[in-house]
This record gives sequence, structure tokens and C-alpha cells, in this order.
Amino acid sequence: MQASVPGLVILDPPESGEINMAVDEALLKNATSDGPVVMRIYQWDQPTLSLGHFQRLEDRDSDALLAKLPWVRRKTGGGAIVHDLELTYSIVIPNRIDQPTKGHSESLYRSIHLSLVENLRSLGWDAKLSESCTCQTSASRESEPFLCFLRRSPVDILVNGDKIVGSAQRRSETGLLQHGSFLLRRSQSTPELCGLLDATAGFISIDQENLRKKNKFDASSTVDGWIDFLRQALQAGLGKNLKVDWRNGTLGDLCSVDVGWTGSHAKQR
Amino acid sequence: MSITPEKLRYLNSHEWAYVADDSSGIATIGISAFAVEELTDLVFMALPKVGQTLKAGSEFGEVESVKAVSPMYSPVSGTVVEIHSALVDKLESLSVDPYSEGWIIKVKMSDPSELAGLLDWEAYKKQCSH
Repeated sequence: MQASVPGLVILDPPESGEINMAVDEALLKNATSDGPVVMRIYQWDQPTLSLGHFQRLEDRDSDALLAKLPWVRRKTGGGAIVHDLELTYSIVIPNRIDQPTKGHSESLYRSIHLSLVENLRSLGWDAKLSESCTCQTSASRESEPFLCFLRRSPVDILVNGDKIVGSAQRRSETGLLQHGSFLLRRSQSTPELCGLLDATAGFISIDQENLRKKNKFDASSTVDGWIDFLRQALQAGLGKNLKVDWRNGTLGDLCSVDVGWTGSHAKQR
Repeated sequence: MSITPEKLRYLNSHEWAYVADDSSGIATIGISAFAVEELTDLVFMALPKVGQTLKAGSEFGEVESVKAVSPMYSPVSGTVVEIHSALVDKLESLSVDPYSEGWIIKVKMSDPSELAGLLDWEAYKKQCSH
């Protein structure tokens, strides 16, 4: 039987983009093979644009709403995200000897996203995986949408055709970092994007009342409720890949983590 | 330049090094077919600058596939003397030929004895089959 590995759940208060990204970068940098799997769920202290690792900052200038937002660069790839009425998660899995060192972990994406899909469907949302792709080759990447939530990859989560959850990964010599964003409501900075709680047409009509009675989550649930929902779904999804012995904690429990925040490094490429 | 995988030395992180039978001391470096397959759809590659010094095992660049950014590590120490800049605009060619046409950088080695510490083709194949 697979031995369990330690896991730490950190529910952080809203912070600036620089701090949020510096913390995730430090968690990855300081991951050790005998250290815990870390799951962090957090928000941002003001609407902030995060760019995928290789995206050009000037590409935001064609959208006046995006151009005036504070911005930060992620270590993970993919498209830009407006972190406003959403929840962000990061998961750091330390490298084990048998893990590959190149490319994405499809199994991690799928298990986590399928868990979210199952849990959303149990609440009445018509959630499913995209199973389609707007992927571009290097020669045609200029035509890829700037925003992550306008792109499609097979494991993105859709509700009523709208992308509600997107994720991206980064590998390093120490481990694997997966970032994900769970859109709850439409942001004024991205009026073209619909959040889960805006996607009322995506609510499955059958047995809706029973679902509402059975579950405490619906469109009127609090952010804390959705944080708990996300935590449970992520833990269940990760559990299909890895046996994790979870405990709740804070960054302070990881004594060796040196965030080394300079206030500007997250903006460098 | 025709490079076949049997002639190469490998890091376990899937970078290869090729040294011609001459006295130039230059290693050509790339990533293996196995790595390209793991990466799937490649969209971007960041390369070092000519003149940059590298240590064996250190990161020399990054490659972005559709859903992940992955580092690339140098199998040898030395100075970058050439980069394959045209590759960045045709990364899909790595799927066709990750060796001869898919070389990434050339490095003037500072310690050619490091090659002996790399995996040969048989050992690398065995690692990939695990």
C-alpha cells in the first residue's frame, strides 16, 4: 500500500500580488523530497493582473481595463488572469525520485479538476471538462487569447460553456507547482468573463430544491464557504494521485521557507 | 551535422550532450525525444545569451508547453558559444527531430571530464523505461 506523505493546508488572508507570488515561488524553491505537500488557498488585496511566465506586459495595453490594474508575473505558464472575485490556489508537490522532470502532470490536472467537477455537479452546476483546445504552436502563438479564461485546454472546467477554473504548472529541480483560479463572480475588469455564481443558466434544473437543502453551498454562500468547498475538492482530487496526511497550518509551520521578498522580483522575467 | 541518440550522453532530466570527434571541446546540447513527448505542445523557449557561463547541472533555459513551464539543465560546464535562435520560432520541429535539427545551444566546455559522469544511451533508455 502506498505510504502517506505529510500535507499542509494553508488558508491565507488576502495579500498583494507580489507577496502572493513570492510566497508560492518560495514554497517551490524550498520544497524538499521529505517535506510536505503544500496546498495554499488565498485571495488578492486588490484586483490584480497576473501574467503567465512568458507573456509580454505590453500585450495588456490593448485593453484599457487591464492596463490600469496592478500586475505581477507568475512562475507558471498560461494566460493572464484578473484576480478579483475569485479564489486562487497553489499546490506544491516536492520531487520524488520517480517523478518526471519535464512537462505537465496530466494526471494531477485531471484528478483535481475532475474532483471539482464532481463536487460542482453535486451542488447542481452543470460542470464538465472542456475536452477542447485553443493550443497554438510557437509559430502562431500570437493569436492565442491574452486572458487564460478565454483559452481552452482539455482539462479546463466549464459551466454552461464558460470557463470557471483554469490551472497551470511549473516544474523545478525541487518540485512541481500548480496554480489554479476559481472564478466566483464577474469582475468589472473583465466584463466578458462569467463567474460560477453568474452562470445561473448552468444550474441543473433537476432536483434543485433537494440539492439546495442537502448542500450548504449555493449562489448565496459566503466566500468562506467556497474556500472550504475548494479545499475539500482539491484534497479529494490530490488523494486520487497521492495518499496525503493533511493538517491545517500556516507559513510559519514551514520554518525553512525564506520568502526573500524584495517587492520587485516577481515582475522580472 | 547528423546526431543520433546512440552517440549522446544524457542527464537524467533528459538533456543530451554531443561532442564531435575533434579538438574543439564544444558540446552541442538539446533535449531528448522522450522529453519532447512529455512536454507535448511546445509554445515558447527561453535561451541563454552567447557568452553566458554555465555550470554542469545548472539551468540554462526554460521551455513552455501548453500547461507547464519546465527548466532545461546543462549537462556540462562552460561558456555558451552559439544558440539555435531559429528554433524558437519552430519548436514543433523538435517533435520531428530533437537531435540534429533540434539542437539548442553549443557550449565550449571548461571541464570535458564531466562527460564521463553522464548517462550513456543504454543507461538513459533504461531510466526512461521506469
